Amino acid sequence: MTATTNLLVFFGLVVTLLLVWRQSWPARVRLFVAQSILLALLAAAIGWLAGKPALLVVALVFLGLKAWIIPRILWRMAAGTPLRALPPGHSSGVALLLAGGLVVAAYVIILPITATATLPTADAIPLAFAMSLIGLFVCVTGRDVLGQVLGFLVFENGIFGLALLATYGLPGLVEAGVFLDVLVIVLLMEGVVMQIRREHDSIDVDRLRELRG
Amino acid sequence: MSLIVLLLAPLAGAALLGRATGAAARTLHAAALAATLGAAAAVVVGVAGAGTVTALDGLLRADALSAWMVGLIGIVAALAGAETLAGFGGAAGESRRFYPLFHLFVFTMLLAVTTDDLGLMWVAVEGTTLASVFLVNFHRTRASLEAAYKYLLICSVGIALAFVGTVFIYFADAQRIGAETHALRWTTLVRWAPQLPPAVVELAFVFLLVGYGTKAGLAPMHTWLPDAHSEAPAPVSALMSGVLLSVGIYAVLRFKTVVDLAAGPGFTRRLLVLFGLSSMAVAAAFLWAPTNFKRMLAYSSVEHLGLVSLGLGFGGLWGVTGAALHLGNHALAKSVLFVLSGRIRDAYGTVEIPSVRGLLAAMPVTGRGFVVALLALLGLPPFGLFISELMILGAGFQEGWGPAAALGLVLLLVAFGGLLRALHSMAYGAGGSAAAAARETLTWKGAAPIAIALSLLVLTGTAWPPGLASALERVAAVMGG
Repeated sequence: MTATTNLLVFFGLVVTLLLVWRQSWPARVRLFVAQSILLALLAAAIGWLAGKPALLVVALVFLGLKAWIIPRILWRMAAGTPLRALPPGHSSGVALLLAGGLVVAAYVIILPITATATLPTADAIPLAFAMSLIGLFVCVTGRDVLGQVLGFLVFENGIFGLALLATYGLPGLVEAGVFLDVLVIVLLMEGVVMQIRREHDSIDVDRLRELRG
Repeated sequence: MSLIVLLLAPLAGAALLGRATGAAARTLHAAALAATLGAAAAVVVGVAGAGTVTALDGLLRADALSAWMVGLIGIVAALAGAETLAGFGGAAGESRRFYPLFHLFVFTMLLAVTTDDLGLMWVAVEGTTLASVFLVNFHRTRASLEAAYKYLLICSVGIALAFVGTVFIYFADAQRIGAETHALRWTTLVRWAPQLPPAVVELAFVFLLVGYGTKAGLAPMHTWLPDAHSEAPAPVSALMSGVLLSVGIYAVLRFKTVVDLAAGPGFTRRLLVLFGLSSMAVAAAFLWAPTNFKRMLAYSSVEHLGLVSLGLGFGGLWGVTGAALHLGNHALAKSVLFVLSGRIRDAYGTVEIPSVRGLLAAMPVTGRGFVVALLALLGLPPFGLFISELMILGAGFQEGWGPAAALGLVLLLVAFGGLLRALHSMAYGAGGSAAAAARETLTWKGAAPIAIALSLLVLTGTAWPPGLASALERVAAVMGG
């Protein structure tokens, strides 16, 4: 069990780092889908190996939501925008370096958790936490609203992985509420982003500077 | 039973109001408000009698702290809702967009404070953001759009951090007691708290405080607040400032009880004092020279929620009771001010302080209400905020937080000066043509709710109604004094 979960989360982290590196929007959405599929597999694997059939349902719902419905909304939001937020030649080396630093930070922050954990999945907890920190980093440093929304979703995915590894899934009612909330957030984001584009003819966050002080 | 009615009233209102228009919508809106307020009163009475009220196999549970919040939400919702009925607040003509979201917003807040399951509480707090995003963007201007985007993104990130904290608590809990289905229930957690590993719950509390603190408007996570509160229609600002921020504090408090039992109170107290002082400092820096009166009120909310956090950090019976009382006083004063600021904005057509002159002469009712409520907000006697601020700062000196309490007092005085200047500039002076155009007609619908709220503030400041003292004591007991 430990080997399977470690491997899945490790791949998830690699995909997340790639997402920091790549600048083209279609590639980033595909990487987000890949991350979501890996996490759905993680949920299914933990459900299978720990004998928790409810997690198989969670895995299916997660797969449908994060690997199918939400990416479709993301494509709709991005329709008609340039593929790259940055001009070519601009490197994402510094961002990648900082993301690497966040992996180290994740190990340090999460120390009290891993120290008391007796679960076979405990080794992977810092990696999942690193995924969510990197997502937060992508969200905060996003240059346009699409980047920020994508960062938030990666952040959210990381937290889902963290919850899986640390607790083998939350109670069903909570899990259902979380999924519903995420879906509504993304739908609201779509509405807001569409309106921002109509108003400003751009989705650059630098245009959002009406409110100061 | 009363809890189920309490949640069903706004929910049914929201569902039905999606279809109603015109006079039918107004009647339905009034009925839903009255039912919510009535059910809230029933819950408060029930808790006063029996100590706790539960429903749905303990999933819904109200103790003294919940009842305090339910009462506040009921009163502020009625006040804000009455404002839309009186024809103010700019909701006319678009009631099908406004009313359902308004009641949904109230529903999510009520659910957050009446559920025993801390996971469901998280879902409900996130729901408050989702229900109110379109209310913030109700006027659909560039500024309100930007405010709504910031609000949605920053609060969603914040609340996701709170989710990390919730997961850590569940992790600590599930390791000790096994994956019991009720492991995220607050009552279960409190029972097992002394056996939870202190290092884990302390780490969890950092995430929870930053996360729910974002919703509570504590600095430095407050950046969404002035935008959202100033761009939303006035009744929505009143709800957000009056009770939504308090719901954020409520969520922190539920976890504080657990963390204190597991790791001792020192840790949470230090953090709360730190965030309290930083909020008051950020607010004081802005309030020294405000230019926009809705933003001024919004920053004043940051200041007062900072003060509440300070009181909770100081601890002791006075600190905790003072903080609870201050939540109530602030809810009353600030919702009145936001409601009236909407009328001023409608009349003068601006939110800039220098453009509003001669308010007292031009708008006798609104002007007087605004002046009185702002004096109450400044913490002058005979209003309740004077008492609760005294209790909080007194607790600081008593519990050995002298320097922090002194700093808090200085920051309060800075904000006091700035607010007083703004008030003076708005209330007096030759109004000119803008003031002449702003002349208002007096209606009981517009004046009565304001008068009731202000008289309640005088009551909490002078002669406490019977039961208030014992109610506050019980609230403090739930918080773990």
